[in-house]
Amino acid sequence: MKHSFRGLIALVSSLIAIAFLAGCDTNTRMSTFDTKGPIAEAQLDLFMVTIWVSLFIFVLVGSVYIVAMFKFRERKNDDRPLPVQSHGNPLIEIGLIGASILLLVIIAVPTLRAIWYTHDFPVTEESKLGAWYQGEGLSAAEEDKPLTIRVEGYQWWWGFAYPQLGITSANELIIPAGKAIRLELRSKDVIHSFWLPRIAGKVDLIPGRSNGMWIQAGDSIEDWQEKSGATGSDEELRAAYARYLQEEIHNYYYGQCAEYCGDSHARMLFRASVVSDDDFASWVSEIKTGHQAPDDMAWEDWYAANDESPEKLTGDINEGLQLFMSRGKCATCHAVNGNPRAVGVAGPNLTKVASRLSVAAGWLNHRAEDGSVDIEQQYANFFKWIKEPNTVKPGNLMWKANGGGIGELEELLTDDEIHKISLYLQTLK
Amino acid sequence: MSSSLTEPTAPATHDHALKPEKSNLGLMRPDHSKSVIIDWLTTVDHKKIGIMYGAMALFFLLVGGLEALIIRAQLIVPENDLVSAERYNQLFTMHGTTMIFLAIMPLNAAFFNFLVPLQIGARDVAFPRINSFSLWAFVAGALVLNFSWLMQAFSELGWFTASGPTAGMTDFVPGMGWFGYAPLTERQFTGVGTDFWIMGLQILGIASLSAAMNFIATIINMRAPGMKMMRLPVFTWMTLIVSLLIVFAFPAITIALGQLMFDRVFDTSFFQVAQGGQPILWQHLFWIFGHPEVYILVLPAMGIVSEVLPTFSKKPLFGYSIVVFSGAVIGFLGFAVWSHHMFTTGLGKVATAAFSLLTMAIAVPTGVKIFNWIGTLWGGRVRFDAPMIFSVGFIWMFMMGGFSGIMHSAAPADAQQQDSYFVIAHFHYVAIGGILLASISGLYFWLPKILGKMWAGKLSTWVAILSTVGLNVTFFPMHFLGLIGMPRRTHTYLSGFGWDSYNMVCSIGAFILGFSILLFVIDIILLMTKGKPAGNDPWDARTLEWATTSPPRSYNFARTPIIPARDALWEHKHGAENRKITFVDEGSHGIHMPSQSWMPFVASFGFIPLGLGLCLMQAGVAYMGYVTISGLVIITLGATLWAIEGPGGYHIHPKEDEI
Repeated sequence: MKHSFRGLIALVSSLIAIAFLAGCDTNTRMSTFDTKGPIAEAQLDLFMVTIWVSLFIFVLVGSVYIVAMFKFRERKNDDRPLPVQSHGNPLIEIGLIGASILLLVIIAVPTLRAIWYTHDFPVTEESKLGAWYQGEGLSAAEEDKPLTIRVEGYQWWWGFAYPQLGITSANELIIPAGKAIRLELRSKDVIHSFWLPRIAGKVDLIPGRSNGMWIQAGDSIEDWQEKSGATGSDEELRAAYARYLQEEIHNYYYGQCAEYCGDSHARMLFRASVVSDDDFASWVSEIKTGHQAPDDMAWEDWYAANDESPEKLTGDINEGLQLFMSRGKCATCHAVNGNPRAVGVAGPNLTKVASRLSVAAGWLNHRAEDGSVDIEQQYANFFKWIKEPNTVKPGNLMWKANGGGIGELEELLTDDEIHKISLYLQTLK
Repeated sequence: MSSSLTEPTAPATHDHALKPEKSNLGLMRPDHSKSVIIDWLTTVDHKKIGIMYGAMALFFLLVGGLEALIIRAQLIVPENDLVSAERYNQLFTMHGTTMIFLAIMPLNAAFFNFLVPLQIGARDVAFPRINSFSLWAFVAGALVLNFSWLMQAFSELGWFTASGPTAGMTDFVPGMGWFGYAPLTERQFTGVGTDFWIMGLQILGIASLSAAMNFIATIINMRAPGMKMMRLPVFTWMTLIVSLLIVFAFPAITIALGQLMFDRVFDTSFFQVAQGGQPILWQHLFWIFGHPEVYILVLPAMGIVSEVLPTFSKKPLFGYSIVVFSGAVIGFLGFAVWSHHMFTTGLGKVATAAFSLLTMAIAVPTGVKIFNWIGTLWGGRVRFDAPMIFSVGFIWMFMMGGFSGIMHSAAPADAQQQDSYFVIAHFHYVAIGGILLASISGLYFWLPKILGKMWAGKLSTWVAILSTVGLNVTFFPMHFLGLIGMPRRTHTYLSGFGWDSYNMVCSIGAFILGFSILLFVIDIILLMTKGKPAGNDPWDARTLEWATTSPPRSYNFARTPIIPARDALWEHKHGAENRKITFVDEGSHGIHMPSQSWMPFVASFGFIPLGLGLCLMQAGVAYMGYVTISGLVIITLGATLWAIEGPGGYHIHPKEDEI
């Protein structure tokens, strides 16, 4: 017994060590250890408090435990009298209960602080839209408010609306760095959960109510200054802060739905691109403007030509657009800003879809090593997504939607047709 | 005569009043049936009922384990296609539902049933026929729930398509998660699988509730003279607390399931948003049940460990009163923490803070138990026999699960951990490392008493090593997996997120764990086929059940014992003269035994058409409403005849010198 018992301990420890070390890299795409925002950081700090307290208790109690098992084990041919039949020791009990409570208080206090911090939106001057937003069309009423993004959850994709700026996008969130942003989380069908681990812990999207949370990518200038101990003139500090944001915070972050929401829950991912204020403003204005018709035609002209003699609009792109508007029925569900006849809201808004680095809600990826679009992979992804959405996302409405899906067409889209639609989509940059 | 399991292997030397009773209905009671099948179908003997619960529990443990192995095989590499998304979702739903409701709860029921009357010096439970009813209702619930697999197979083969209320849906097995969050469970999102889940769980709930009330009545009312409450074995105390938890917690889920059923069948709007319903209501109702439920699952395990540790340390439990009291406090506080499952739903600061603090508070009585178990070892003489190895392992593994629980209690930290693999790590440590190891400990401890045979060989050592290794290799990496962002309930994942090697390690561990359970099953088979007679008290134990033969006679004790102290048997063997067990002089009256009965079986049989009828009705099969109603009729008929047939009973006259 002794022998196999020692062996047991050795074996268990070594296997735990192996399990521990199995890829100990914590700097991964969705790591909660590699935080890039104050909320995730606060949550991580609290977690480390619980780790230390638990480790302390584990070592203390664990060692008493192991000692007890060895010191008081029965020996071979043990003929000692029965051990003293002691029933307990109230003093020890009370002492241990007191010690437990004390250790829990050590966890409880930072917990309460973090609850308040992560819930309360920090009202600062820098976060107000008027202070940093350089685009046009901001009404006076909104200037004093922070950027508010409405996150809409659907089975199995994400809508991101910016009501103050008058635009809507999908699946790839674009946000500025260093400012507190308010998120309103709503679901259109079942419960989803918005989880962007490096920025913040998750909050659920529950149909019938609007949950709120605030996020911030990167520290504010004051916090950054405190942490880095940087000094200098206002201009120098601002430049250094901009460098910090540029080098450490501007990035392409990964998120995922974190509440089981049906068949393709595993494939409801999203992305967040954290960009500079300039890039944010230009992105907003590009979305607002939307796209011209192919060959830089104005839409009235294109529709006039198409309604009269569609065969005169030649080329893959034109034919792709025609399929998009007619046989493919894409415009029924997908809006493309600029195009007056593509205003569908049942599916993701496809304005600038070709600038996104993934499709099918983050599932099919075409991001090159340097962060740009891998054109060939993008084409392949578009093709695959339109050809077999039922395989990529079983159950999704693009394929089968009470008669409206492309899987329900009398004659399914041919490869050539999908080819043209994909080429058209790639022009929506 | 009756089967050999309830009579000793020595030739019978006592005389039975063999004339079977006639019930008030003029029908024969099936006492002393020669048919083994009839004997076991109509038995009201708590020991036989316990054995049947245990056998079913072990069967479903294997079923749930198989479901888990398929899950882990699917996740062993990224973008695997071993099973489809729908199938995977059904597998994790059924894995959770099976393990909780069809494996652990009946395993606990098996221990309650077999041990509690023996431990309190009684002959049986307060209501033997209700006991039988609970068992067969459980079987009915298990059947209804798993019938869904058959429907799914028919659907895959093209022999059946859903029509009517769930037309167009292809999921026949529950696939909405074992927690069934609305509105995913509404008719527009899921098919008949959800209905099977609702009906299965309702039936199982009735089984649990009736058993719980039975045990409360038994423990309060049927203790032998001198068996004061504070002399009860800790396991019996935990049974009482758990039974009270069941009585107070199950109504919440009964109501929730009823409301969901009404939404699905009658288009009410408890949880349907379009008509003003609130999905969050489901979560509150479910978790008001769901959190006490996890204490219902774990407190019996703690009770088992509280029996095994003193026995194998040759010392009383350290701080008995505090251990009992902390069990009660855990039970009570268990009703105050439910929204810690909902920290990410936007509860608001105050509610989040309150539930955070209360969840931390519950760590105190749990910690107290661990200190007391270690205190039991300290100063004792520790023998590492098979039951002890597992109880010792329990303390270690449950501590680790407890720590991740404390980490969850800090709500802001939980915002990252919730719905990730970190949670899976936490509850599998407490469920497998805690509940399963303790249950295996209990089986190694008590199966010799139950079956009358002793374990042979050292396979238990291998079971211990491999199950501990398997548990840790499977679930320790999951802490990290969750903290680097892998959400749970996902049928596949992409490469490039750093999750690949962790998943592979976890999957390998799962197969090691599965193999250890296989070895355990083999060890039980070896016990049954090759075990030598165990004798009454093979472990030199402390409590009353060890004062009977192995297996105990049908009437448990020939004469009712008078209990002088806690740990009555130990005091009798090693204590002072005035602490010996004496016996009530019952004269020549003989032992009055409860008659066997068909009615509990008949009544609970009605649950099958009730459950299946409703589900098939939802699947569009014609006339199923009538089948449902016929189920209600059968239940009512069975219960009515049960009331009318009267208690019955017959007498046994054991010889003077028997225990």
